[in-house]
Amino acid sequence: MEFRNDCAKINEMTARVRMAENGAQLVSRLEGRQSLRDIEPNIFPVDGGPGQGDVVEFHGLEGTGKTETLYHLITRCIMTVQSGGLEVAVVFVDTDYHFDMLRLVSVLEGRLAEGSKEGDGSENESEERVRSCLCRLSVVHCNSSVQLLLTLQYLENTFSSQPSLGLLIIDSISSFYWVDRFNGGESTVCQEANLRKCAELLNRLRRNYGIVIFATTHAIMRNYGSDPGVSEVPGSSSSSSSRRWRSADSATDFDKPYLCKAWQRIVTHRMLFTKSHVSKDHKQVFSTACTSIMTKGVKRCSFHVMEDGIKFVCDK
Amino acid sequence: MVILREGICPGVNEEFIKALQSEDIKTVEDFVSCNPEELAQKCSLSYKALVAVRRVLLAQYTAFPVSGADLYEELLSSTAILSTGNPSLDKLLDSGLYTGEITELAGSPGSGKTQVCFSVAVNISHQLKQTVFYIDTKGGMCANRLLQMLQSKTPNMEEQMEALQKIKVLRVFDVFSLLACLQNLRSNGLQKASVGGGSVKALMVDSVSAVLSSMLGGKQNEGMSLLMQVAGELKMIAKDFNIAVLVTNHVTKDGNGHLKAGLGQSWSHGPRTRVLLQRIEGAGTSSLRTATLTKSSRQITGFEERNDLIMDK
Repeated sequence: MEFRNDCAKINEMTARVRMAENGAQLVSRLEGRQSLRDIEPNIFPVDGGPGQGDVVEFHGLEGTGKTETLYHLITRCIMTVQSGGLEVAVVFVDTDYHFDMLRLVSVLEGRLAEGSKEGDGSENESEERVRSCLCRLSVVHCNSSVQLLLTLQYLENTFSSQPSLGLLIIDSISSFYWVDRFNGGESTVCQEANLRKCAELLNRLRRNYGIVIFATTHAIMRNYGSDPGVSEVPGSSSSSSSRRWRSADSATDFDKPYLCKAWQRIVTHRMLFTKSHVSKDHKQVFSTACTSIMTKGVKRCSFHVMEDGIKFVCDK
Repeated sequence: MVILREGICPGVNEEFIKALQSEDIKTVEDFVSCNPEELAQKCSLSYKALVAVRRVLLAQYTAFPVSGADLYEELLSSTAILSTGNPSLDKLLDSGLYTGEITELAGSPGSGKTQVCFSVAVNISHQLKQTVFYIDTKGGMCANRLLQMLQSKTPNMEEQMEALQKIKVLRVFDVFSLLACLQNLRSNGLQKASVGGGSVKALMVDSVSAVLSSMLGGKQNEGMSLLMQVAGELKMIAKDFNIAVLVTNHVTKDGNGHLKAGLGQSWSHGPRTRVLLQRIEGAGTSSLRTATLTKSSRQITGFEERNDLIMDK
């Protein structure tokens, strides 16, 4: 069985080389993408920022700031280097029609205003700058796991032909969990089939092209043991999960991983979002706790959500 | 899963399907995940035909990326904010109901959710002169009450009738008919309504929990799947047709005894804004209610407004 697997792998690798590759594709495969390691030192562990091929999972209840953090990271990527960005193109896959372009633009405008000098150009110029930044972002809407799988297949071509594309964001990868679970009937294998194929495809994308993947997952499964309240359907399914994530704080009772093993295997960083206390000046504080398979310990951080984006309150 | 059948795209005929089935490929996803070179070697189909069919299927079933700049342009020109007619509610909602989003009203029975829906419907049809679709799942729709509200806004009979005509009522009493109704609206109902002059700007579902809560709980997977499908349909309608969707929901108590919206965590990711309606304690049979903003992507939550729900005073 192993021998056959190896043969299949070799076949696949050589098949990839045999497929006609033009110059641009070759360069993009070999040269590697822009590094995103210092995309946000506040939330990622020291020396543990997302490198090429890393997969970061943003996990949390609704209203805990996951999407706001994504907007913050997107603006950092798409802005020009002069304004303090990384000039990296981003593909945003929106699976639950959650993406709020108007909110992203207000965060972007806020950061561009911060980065530019005073009296630097008229309104037209700032609109031009926003537009040119937005050209580095593409948005795709998917409404079923089949469409997600096929769209990722299609995007593979896009990644190979555009070396400036360094980041793929999927918000969120858990939206089809219940629909797939019902469609798969009694067999767990059938239920997870589409997500497993997506995870395998994402694994291939990150290995071959070195892109970074951020994916959000909603926290909908309650951890038993802490609070015997009313809960969702008993999750005795696929989620007897990875011990390696237990080191993070399980302060919330909703941080149980429930997606299929194929997905959990490729995740390299896990960020848990929670709503903390309300500070003295009546601002809601959100916190993140980031663990990764490469570093020990947990990197914690807090932030407020303001008009023009996230403001960190880190004390480290 | 999308099953491969004859005629799904040009080039896929019976022998094509039979040859693929011998390799255990029955669905579009399986076909697209396979390498066409390997497939050509294993079954008797030509590489060229396989690549061509693969390209057409991908074009048919994938979603295409849109550039951020284009999306922004489109949104700037099409997003609208619909006033609810009640200034304090408008203040809570940051000037009104936004198109392209779901707004949720949660409250216990008798807290005034249906009345608020009526007054919003009347405001949109009379003041803003736009069509409203009202999906009634509880049998609480009462045309006389709508007329009463309109009579307090204008004494002119013709205007009242015109406004009433713009409120289209659909009655469904179980979740399957609700899904069918939403899918119908999405595929042709909304376009037909906007052809007749006057565009559709709002869709209300009163209430979503009446049809869904009986399907949830226990070991029923179907209930959660139906809930996510209803949420998906509502969001697609809101986004694709630029409509403001207003839904009502019941309330339950959480671990600390505080009120929270019903239908659980999975549903709560759907609405963008949530307002909790409550009776004022000790006020007896007064029509005063408090509305609290419990979820918003634009404002600080926790805002409370007191208002009188009887609009025709």
